[in-house]
Amino acid sequence: MNRVKVLQAWLWCVSLWSCWLSHAVPLDCKDETGSLIQCTSISQEKLLDRVIQHAELIYRVSEESCTLFEDMFVPYPLYALRNQGGTMCHTKPFPIPGSKTEIQQISDKWLLHSVLMLVQSWMEPLVYLQTTLNRYDDAPDALLNKTKWVSDKLLSLEQGVVVLIRKMLDEGILTPSIFEHSLTPDDEPSPEIPESVLRDYNLLICFKKDAHKMETFLKLLKCRQSNKLSCLSY
Amino acid sequence: MAYSLLLSLLYLGMLCGNGLVSARSELFTPDPSRGPHFTGCRSREQETFRCWWSAGIFQNLTEPGALRVFYMTKHALSEWQECPDYTRTVKNECYFNKTFTQIWTSYCIQLRSVRENITYDEACFTVENIVHPDPPIGLNWTLLNVSRSGLHYDILVRWAPPPSADVQMGWMSLEYQVQYRVRNNSHWEMLDLESGTQQSIYGLHTDKEYEVRVRCKMTAFDNFGEFSDSIIVHVAQIPSKESTFPTTLVLIFGMIGVVILLVLLIFSQQQRLMVIFLPPIPAPKIKGIDPELLKNGKLDQLNSLLSSQDMYKPDFYHEDPWVEFIQLDLDDPAEKNESSDTQHLLGLSRSGSSHVLNFKSDDDSGRASCYDPEIPNPEDLATLLPGHSGRGDNHPLVSRSSSSIPDLGVQQTSEVKETPIQKQPAVPSWVNMDFYAQVSDFTPAGGVVLSPGQLNSSLEKKKEEENEKKIQFQLVSDGAYTSENTARQLSANVPSSPGPEQGYQTFPTQAVEGTSERGVPGCPPSDSQMPYLLPEAPPSPILPPVSDYTVVQEVDAQHSLLLNPPSSQPAICPHSPNKHLPAMPTMPMGYLTPDFLGNLTP
Repeated sequence: MNRVKVLQAWLWCVSLWSCWLSHAVPLDCKDETGSLIQCTSISQEKLLDRVIQHAELIYRVSEESCTLFEDMFVPYPLYALRNQGGTMCHTKPFPIPGSKTEIQQISDKWLLHSVLMLVQSWMEPLVYLQTTLNRYDDAPDALLNKTKWVSDKLLSLEQGVVVLIRKMLDEGILTPSIFEHSLTPDDEPSPEIPESVLRDYNLLICFKKDAHKMETFLKLLKCRQSNKLSCLSY
Repeated sequence: MAYSLLLSLLYLGMLCGNGLVSARSELFTPDPSRGPHFTGCRSREQETFRCWWSAGIFQNLTEPGALRVFYMTKHALSEWQECPDYTRTVKNECYFNKTFTQIWTSYCIQLRSVRENITYDEACFTVENIVHPDPPIGLNWTLLNVSRSGLHYDILVRWAPPPSADVQMGWMSLEYQVQYRVRNNSHWEMLDLESGTQQSIYGLHTDKEYEVRVRCKMTAFDNFGEFSDSIIVHVAQIPSKESTFPTTLVLIFGMIGVVILLVLLIFSQQQRLMVIFLPPIPAPKIKGIDPELLKNGKLDQLNSLLSSQDMYKPDFYHEDPWVEFIQLDLDDPAEKNESSDTQHLLGLSRSGSSHVLNFKSDDDSGRASCYDPEIPNPEDLATLLPGHSGRGDNHPLVSRSSSSIPDLGVQQTSEVKETPIQKQPAVPSWVNMDFYAQVSDFTPAGGVVLSPGQLNSSLEKKKEEENEKKIQFQLVSDGAYTSENTARQLSANVPSSPGPEQGYQTFPTQAVEGTSERGVPGCPPSDSQMPYLLPEAPPSPILPPVSDYTVVQEVDAQHSLLLNPPSSQPAICPHSPNKHLPAMPTMPMGYLTPDFLGNLTP
């Protein structure tokens, strides 16, 4: 009996250890032919292209979400808010270039860091947005799906930018700064629709603007990487 | 709480504010009913922007400088600043250059009358939301393809992004929209947004002029720029029918030519084609004698040929009662040289000694059924001939069965006519004979012996004899007959008869009772038996009726026919010619004429 027990315990340990090992070992990658090989690193250009694609997609989805929300909840006269680009967008603790000249003067490092900070700043608000949108009675599913999707993509975008920073700048991963958002989630059980609507609408608008920023920054960065002369000069 | 208050205030402000600068509103149309207001702000390349205003009703504010624009960026909580650049060339325009342009920051502008310190209008915006890109440049088209019918075609339209928009750097990402319409039509066809710089248009009609134009906007924004200049697209209807026309013509003419050739071929080779397609039915192969051979071949060949035939029976003449043979005298050269009336009758040529047996091929095949198609063995037939010297090439005549020898070819001499001798074979030229035998002797029993001799008496001779001897003979007009009675008269001093020109006269004699070749004793001669009875009654004694027929009993060694006297059977007229011959032709009593022989055939 004792021997059997010891044997069972031993088998359990071995199985668990193998499971732990399998989790610990990095995932096998597949190359183009489909065979399992050790994961190889992606080239910088490809990574940058993928990051740009992510940013473009996020930007388009944000614009669609904004439109959906606008059609559903926002009365027509308030469409001007959109034009204003969000009146109450949360301010960033760091300066972000706002004009083309500024962007051209800024270095690659600053660009990447700016993008990273932007991405990281929107993580939580998007989660908040999801919760608030769920509270709407007649929120379209498309809107909810899109916001969900955007928040997921944002995470992968962040990862990509981090890798990019590591590659391009040969820097270590910066510690993510915690942003204090001016927007706090409402704990009111039933907020008035106009306020929440305005708030959410504003949030969406702000997010769209920042997504556009991210995309522009990354594209400019790419231009710089490919052809530095024309991108820097006027 | 404060946040919500601020929002509500803002909302109210938006509602109450006049001259909202909306990104979607159609600007640049100054409202004359209003006071001074902004008519619009635009950025072309997301780097600079301009704003325009109008004095509106207040005409006293139209002079420059009366109204001023102030702006403020919310970004940095700055103060109101005045327009950095009032455009000199354009009235009521404020231009913000690159240094004063901040993207992703909201601007607020105000239209103030400085003198009165009144803010007539205010607007807030962010620059990227007022971007209206310039129209694309370099619009051109190329033909992709034309449909097979030549009625439709596809084109590829190309353009270049506006030079002001910095697409290359990625500062602006543009989307394009192509529109086209039939020229002078009011409705524009819009195609989907295209992020590239080319697009194909399908399904255009030939012979129609189309207008194509393009405009662009920033991706995920709503503000389209101005349209580019329209280009005219026109594809003339390619006369593709012409290209197919000659091929169809060629095909048609080719087919016609082939058909004509075929027709000509068929007509030229008609016979051959008839043979090929409609082969002749082979004629039944009956063993026979080649008619050509009979015409042209020699008698030796003919003999061998005929002898080899199986259908010749040597003794047919014994079995076939219908065949009668007539003896021919071949050995009398004098007789040969004389042209007998018989020969004249028969129309034979006496020239030469072409020993050719003339057989007439009787076309009447109906008669062949009556007879066995037996042709007597030529040698056997030849033996019948008197004085047969063993020559195999002398063929006697076969009397009535000429129709029974259809296969024998006939070497026709030119003089052989078919008419009088249709039913009888022609007499060979060398045969100098008569159809009638001479009575040479009388038997004690009363039979008449006929010999193949000939009492040749042409008409001239008879006349000479008459002239000489005061002829008591009754001559047959045609001379072909030898009257038995005349022979009797010669020998028995029969009372004379009238002149020779009286034709036939029948003198049935008592002495010759029952000895005539024909006739049955006891039978009263009918009128038909004596067609040649002269009108005057014959002064001669009435002779007992002579039978028309007699039976040939036998043939002696000299080839003479022995006729038996008929038995006295007065009532029996088996061979009454009346029975057989309803219409008795001219027939002298006691004579057997060839015609009579022919008529006797049933």
